Amino acid sequence: MMAYNVLIVDDSATMRALVRKVLNIAGLELGECFEGANGREALVILENNWIDLVLSDLHMPEMDGAALVKALRQNKMWQTIPVVLITTEGRQEVLAPFFKSGIQGYIRKPFRPEDIKEQLHTILGEAWIPNDRELEGCDF
Amino acid sequence: MIENLKAATFEVLETMFFIFPESLEEANTLFHGPGLRAWVPVEGPKNFRVGLTLSVSLAREMAANFLGVEKDEVLPDRMEDVVKETANMVAGSFLRREEAPETFNLKPPMAQPMDLDAEIWKENAHHVLLAVEDSGIEVFLDKSQ
Repeated sequence: MMAYNVLIVDDSATMRALVRKVLNIAGLELGECFEGANGREALVILENNWIDLVLSDLHMPEMDGAALVKALRQNKMWQTIPVVLITTEGRQEVLAPFFKSGIQGYIRKPFRPEDIKEQLHTILGEAWIPNDRELEGCDF
Repeated sequence: MIENLKAATFEVLETMFFIFPESLEEANTLFHGPGLRAWVPVEGPKNFRVGLTLSVSLAREMAANFLGVEKDEVLPDRMEDVVKETANMVAGSFLRREEAPETFNLKPPMAQPMDLDAEIWKENAHHVLLAVEDSGIEVFLDKSQ
């Protein structure tokens, strides 16, 4: 079974820790889990590591999620990496351009662990290892 | 507008923290001791702030729930980060509920410590006071920016 290297991009260290925790309990075959506090840090990590999935916030200082998605889609090495936005943004007119630019999905904060699980299941398909027992009653 | 702010707050606290606040008349008597205030500036055709104020003890409990650790394991910067992230989520949910146009943008959240005993706590058109057991949470919309 292939293990996925995941990059979590969020300016909140606490939110990154939470997402990492949810990934760990959600049944994804995790390889390495990298963290960046903004798009700029994410690009440095991408330059030096093999990343299979990017989970990114939208509103971040220095380089936001929009600029990160644009940079990923313009780079031949990275343009096929699945990107899922994890964001407080819920307005469809704001999110629509991101779907046009090729993001695979979005998870709106606040979220339940199941929301992340369902998104990743949709994107990663057969690579997913269902693990409902551990998610039941999960209180973060 | 205030109903959407209240609904956004309930959604965030219940979904992310498993905290179920109540609207109580005596909520204004529940603000004591050291506290934290966090807010998100919203920029657009009109500028305003969406924020919340709560006691350090409740913030610590929320951070512990959020991170799945014991309360005494929560570091102060993590506690502040959780309160800022809470304000961020409330602001995002509020804008969505208000169907605010895309010209309104959330800016990075900010926070400051507070002495809750030094304030007068009153509910009005732009301030909601909620109770979580024996602690209060103020949620506000500040249009004075």
